Amino acid sequence: MRGTLLYIGQRLILIAITTVLVSSIVFLLLHQIPGNAFLNETRQSPQTLAAELHHYGLDLPLQQQYLNWVHGVVGGDLGESLVNRGVKITPLLIRETSVSATVGFFALLVTVGLGLILGVVAALRQNTWVDYLASSTAVVGYSIPSFVIAIFGLLLFGHYLYQWTDGAFFYSPGWGKAEQIPVPALALGLPYASYVARLTRASMLETIRTDYVRTAWAKGLKARIVVFRHALRNALIPVVTILGPLVTGIITGSVVIENIFGIPGLGKEFITSILARDYNIVIGVFTFYAALVGLANLTVDVIYPVLDPRIRY
Amino acid sequence: MAQAAPVAPPDLELTYEMPEQATLLSDAWRRIRRNRLALVGGVIISILFITALISIVWTPFPVWLQAVGPTYQPPSGAHPLGLDQAGRDILSRIMGGALITVEVGIGSAIIVSLIGIPLGLLAGFYRGTTDTIISFFINIWYGIPDLLVALILVFVLADALHLIPRGVFVIIIAFSLTRWMDVARLVRGQSLALREREFVEAARMAGARDFSLLLRHIFPNALGPIIVQATFAIPAAVLFEAFLSFLGLGLPSPTPSWGAMAADGYHGMDFAPHIVLAPTIALSLTLMAFNWVGDGLRDAFDPRMRR
Repeated sequence: MRGTLLYIGQRLILIAITTVLVSSIVFLLLHQIPGNAFLNETRQSPQTLAAELHHYGLDLPLQQQYLNWVHGVVGGDLGESLVNRGVKITPLLIRETSVSATVGFFALLVTVGLGLILGVVAALRQNTWVDYLASSTAVVGYSIPSFVIAIFGLLLFGHYLYQWTDGAFFYSPGWGKAEQIPVPALALGLPYASYVARLTRASMLETIRTDYVRTAWAKGLKARIVVFRHALRNALIPVVTILGPLVTGIITGSVVIENIFGIPGLGKEFITSILARDYNIVIGVFTFYAALVGLANLTVDVIYPVLDPRIRY
Repeated sequence: MAQAAPVAPPDLELTYEMPEQATLLSDAWRRIRRNRLALVGGVIISILFITALISIVWTPFPVWLQAVGPTYQPPSGAHPLGLDQAGRDILSRIMGGALITVEVGIGSAIIVSLIGIPLGLLAGFYRGTTDTIISFFINIWYGIPDLLVALILVFVLADALHLIPRGVFVIIIAFSLTRWMDVARLVRGQSLALREREFVEAARMAGARDFSLLLRHIFPNALGPIIVQATFAIPAAVLFEAFLSFLGLGLPSPTPSWGAMAADGYHGMDFAPHIVLAPTIALSLTLMAFNWVGDGLRDAFDPRMRR
């Protein structure tokens, strides 16, 4: 137990370092850009421009700006929006993270839930029509990008179902109501669900042929216990390994999904800020993303030994 | 005891057929031919390449020409895929988009390999400090959303610094700069394992220098996995371009990128779904084909990993 806590502590420090390092790259990249966010503002006297620059510390040398920024990040302060003066970035992004995390959580639920069910059923009924149906769905599904699924989902739920049911079924994209969660979550989760299904099927097929599963059957254990406690638990190990990259994929995918469905999360903020040249927010969102990916990978590594007691830290 | 009749000496001219020499590629080709999904993928990719080549010299209408008919016109005889919101012929634009897709996909696969292979070979072969430095970058990058870094790179290089004009090239560069780690990691592993093998040892004893060891002995033996990894870089790059262009951060407006076309059609989806359907279906089919071929190649090059 103490070993695990120590391990988690070490990893947290590493995540913090990685986050700052990676955000530094983005910080330095964005500060190479000549001009500044206020260049487009018309009718601006040199005095107000100088005052604006001074307010944000943009008149300082780059090293000083960088040191100030690192100092802020370490203390959890990501600065102030360049476009909306006075708006603090950290609380804004924390609020948006909760929105993105909600969508991401349900997407992950779709991915893991649907993927596991499809994969296990396909493996247990190998070479029957159930298997062929599940496998071919998976083999097609994992190549269709989430924004294409989002578009099809919008067409189906937002347009055709409305027409076919004469307006009885009404769905409009947006955020705030519970019924607006499933479609984006499905769009975000389905491609990865197919991937998980393929992986689960393959590793399940391998496990159900092992000696200890045969023994479990021979002992006369109930099918439920053999499948879930003996076979699935071991079959899950390769699936857990890809959960890290999967979370990265869901975060990347959420950028486009949030923009399609008008969900006020981190992804929408990211694109809006890039287009508005609000670099402080772009750097901030990126810092959040880097930390989130790090934490997700850590979570995966912590649940790993629960499934596979052979692994210890 | 009667002498046995002298046996006629056997015909010493033995004639048996030399088995055809199995090279890496011929062996893989033999196996991939049996993989139906990979074959279908291959056919789709061939169609994509042919369409892209044709689009260089001929499209039914110029890809940028507006108002060749009424805007939002659904598919008809003259325009098999209909017209978009500016009255441009969608079939022509899909063909032009195929060329962009091929450029982005192949270009990225080549550059990713050009960066990743040497770094991976060096890290695995020399180990020590070289490996530590290269692996440090690989590991850092493994934990971050690389597509978003690439997105920022495209923005910074093209829009903000005007170093490279916004186009296919900047997308390839941004993608490759953030994705060479996959190839490097794989090649490093291969190189680490191969450098200990007897044939490398033998070559070293025969006086081969490091450079020739790497190029003539280690690299050819890692070629199979490298080809597979490079194949999987193609759909990733194609998706990246579509993703950027869909968000309006990719190729500039009149360029017939499938992602940008999907974004165009997205706004009129309720009454003219054909505009959004054509590019999204083309994109999905392309990604599927490359993934299938990639899967097929992986099975073909590594028969032990058969699924």
